[in-house]
Amino acid sequence: MDQTLKISDLNVQFYTRRGIYRALNGVDLSLKQGEIFGIAGESGCGKTTMGLTIIGLLPVNAAVTDGQAMFCGERDLIASFTKAGAGETDKFNLRKSEAVVKKVNKELADVRGSRISMVFQDPMTSLNPVLQVGFQIAETVLTHQPRSLAERKLARARATPEDTEQIVNLLKEGADEQAITKYAESKGLQGIETQVLNVWRRNDLGEAKKEKIILSLHSEKLGSFEKIVLESVEKGTSMPGWMKIPGISRAAKNVLLKEGYTKAIELLSMLEVPNPDKVVRMYPHELSGGMRQRIVIAIALANNPDLVILDEPTSALDVTVQAQILELTRHLKQRFNTSFIFISHDLSVLSEVCDRIGIMYAGTMVEVAPTDEIFNNPIHPYTRMLTRAIPRIEGSEIQGVGGTVPDMRKVPLGCTFNPRCPDATEQCRTKKPEMVEVEGGHFVACYT
Amino acid sequence: MLLASRQLVKHFPLKGSSAFGNPLMLKAVDGVNIEVREGEIVGVVGESGSGKTTLGRLLLGLLKPTSGQVFFDIPDNVLEEYDNYVANKDLKKAADIEKEYSIFNKRGDMQKDIRKKTNIVFQDPYSSLDPRLNILDIITEPITSTGYLSSNEAPKRCFELLDEVGLPRDFAYRYPHELSGGQKQRVALARGIATLPKFLVLDEPTSALDVSVQAQVLALLRRIRTTHNIGMVLITHNIAVISYMADQVNVMYAGKIVETGPKREVILNPIHPYNVALISAVPGKIVKGTKIILKGDTPNLVEPPPGCSFHPRCPESFNVCGWTSGEVASDLKYLIENKYADMFKAETIVSTNANGNVIIRNASIDQVKDLLTLEKDKTRSLTAVDRLSESAEGVELWLWLHQAPEMYQYADRLVSCFLYAPQDEKPSSQTTKP
Repeated sequence: MDQTLKISDLNVQFYTRRGIYRALNGVDLSLKQGEIFGIAGESGCGKTTMGLTIIGLLPVNAAVTDGQAMFCGERDLIASFTKAGAGETDKFNLRKSEAVVKKVNKELADVRGSRISMVFQDPMTSLNPVLQVGFQIAETVLTHQPRSLAERKLARARATPEDTEQIVNLLKEGADEQAITKYAESKGLQGIETQVLNVWRRNDLGEAKKEKIILSLHSEKLGSFEKIVLESVEKGTSMPGWMKIPGISRAAKNVLLKEGYTKAIELLSMLEVPNPDKVVRMYPHELSGGMRQRIVIAIALANNPDLVILDEPTSALDVTVQAQILELTRHLKQRFNTSFIFISHDLSVLSEVCDRIGIMYAGTMVEVAPTDEIFNNPIHPYTRMLTRAIPRIEGSEIQGVGGTVPDMRKVPLGCTFNPRCPDATEQCRTKKPEMVEVEGGHFVACYT
Repeated sequence: MLLASRQLVKHFPLKGSSAFGNPLMLKAVDGVNIEVREGEIVGVVGESGSGKTTLGRLLLGLLKPTSGQVFFDIPDNVLEEYDNYVANKDLKKAADIEKEYSIFNKRGDMQKDIRKKTNIVFQDPYSSLDPRLNILDIITEPITSTGYLSSNEAPKRCFELLDEVGLPRDFAYRYPHELSGGQKQRVALARGIATLPKFLVLDEPTSALDVSVQAQVLALLRRIRTTHNIGMVLITHNIAVISYMADQVNVMYAGKIVETGPKREVILNPIHPYNVALISAVPGKIVKGTKIILKGDTPNLVEPPPGCSFHPRCPESFNVCGWTSGEVASDLKYLIENKYADMFKAETIVSTNANGNVIIRNASIDQVKDLLTLEKDKTRSLTAVDRLSESAEGVELWLWLHQAPEMYQYADRLVSCFLYAPQDEKPSSQTTKP
């Protein structure tokens, strides 16, 4: 399962009053596990549309006319989109599109937020202003993995003092994650390992304090109602039927949400939020921009997803806070082996975190290469112009890219970049270039 | 000197009042001196909330300052005289100069004349252009309203301006919504230079644009500066843009300028700890150095931290930088409850007393001493502890008195940090409490 996502020949178009807007024209992308892939390009080149397509959040006036997005090699995320869109490229039927969107929402409900999650640009608008941030984190876990919450709490109730002592001894001997998990499973304490490890990995606590916290994770007293709720949730993967009865459902959810808050505190302390136990009780407006973005990232990571799409996560933040968030992303990648798609218009931000970068222009990938290659050996004229347009601290001369992004209602013939390209030839104006591999891992769509 | 500000202060009143009945004030700009020569681009850089935009508006007289002056077109010797008068507390003579040169004391025609000679370009071209006027009206408006040209001559000037900013002449009859972001910003720029001003404030002129378009606009700005010799204040949070454009750079933090000087000094060789961290955080440098990741966020401007306002985030702050007993107590409490929980008794209580000292109850003086020696290098606030004593309440920690740093000359620049204070102005050890 090294390949988290493989997109091939993705075509997306929007029906607008002034014609069909071809947002994506045959995008290919493959993402390995534990990789940060950066997507750069000017505004209007389809970066965000691409992110939205993967997670199935396209608006009703959009249609996926062709393509595939294989997730973890097991399912095609956009299958229902493509099925509906194929063959009818120029007609727009609102009722039909709405039905498709509904269907996709239903299909992807188990993937969104649990296996794929997305972080949007503006942390103020992506958080709910009337709910505590802890609730918003707990809610994501409750919706997708209620069982994990029940397990966590039950594990604490079932663990004996000897168990926690044993775990601390194991940790002191330098046991790794698997050893702890194995021990927990052998004793029927699934769910305790993440709690233990999250405490153990904190840097802000002394060894003695950590030990003390871990040793205290046992013999938690449960009320009788709590016990019934937790045990019945633990048995199945979803909520049992009787928990849908109004009133009871509220009470049962509260039991789980309470545990969700403790999980939220753990997540936030991992994201280096100071005083996480106070922060979970706050509302978004009480937090600064950087802090809010951390909350959004915590929500995205709450269910240990395989893929996180970061859509301009730092554009609304200051340089110093941006540096904090970038550092955090690097750190998270190492720890969770999660794949990230990092969308940004700022190539210099991408150069800080990404393993590979793809340059998009007018709905196509024009160049994909490892980060250093993009900067040291850009091949596509557009990439070359983009890298030259970034002002740098060192004060080198900068040069703009002449012209503007083409109106994708009337796609230029041949290579989409040819009207702005200084080296365009007759071939470029008539035939679209294919992606070719120039060197190991360096792909480019250009004739030169 | 084309433009100079002296001790410029702008406090915005907020709703509500503090515990003592004084109205709460948001200290947006707090004592800023800035100087712009003819044809010079002066950069102002800082995080959001550092007061950059307020400063820009003050310099044009769009906002009235709480105190302080902005002088326009003031001869260098007069400015020097003014500084001497202020230094010698000869306020009457200083007031005479203020009366003559300060933009806040000009009325009527004089004010109109200044309006003609100064202008501003705003950040967001989408909202700074009136959607119901066509480009011709937008550009000719400042020309006619300031009386720079009559309304018959204005259209001709408008076409010249469109040529100058690289837009086709037929754009004059289009409306803003028909233009792209970069084109709109060119129009805004054409409007900015319509009356051939001597001074222009650029408030984040490129932050709403794509990199490719940003490069074009920056090149255009440079060309305009050289052809018309316009003095500019470039306000931006993008350090790379400042580095590309500016001659002089001012780094702002919490309403104050912390470092100012020529670009090659301030950007390429920063010394103020905040500036060092800021420059190190810029992404995409060719030479990758060590990154200094600052903790925390920009301070609350209603009650900025005492002393140097950067001290709570500063990786190099030391005893007199402005630590208060509250800060020291909360750090100690955190350490005692978490990292050193095994060293102290569970009943240990950290609090502050009326003298502004920190009290630790149920702990011995040796324990506290050990903690301090262990943590002094890691937790900066503990450097503020001067000495310990045992009192009836428990262990009492005496703190250094704090001071606010002034602007110190260091090589070619001015920097507001005690680390670079000249020897005789270094805060001495006598500043501790008796």
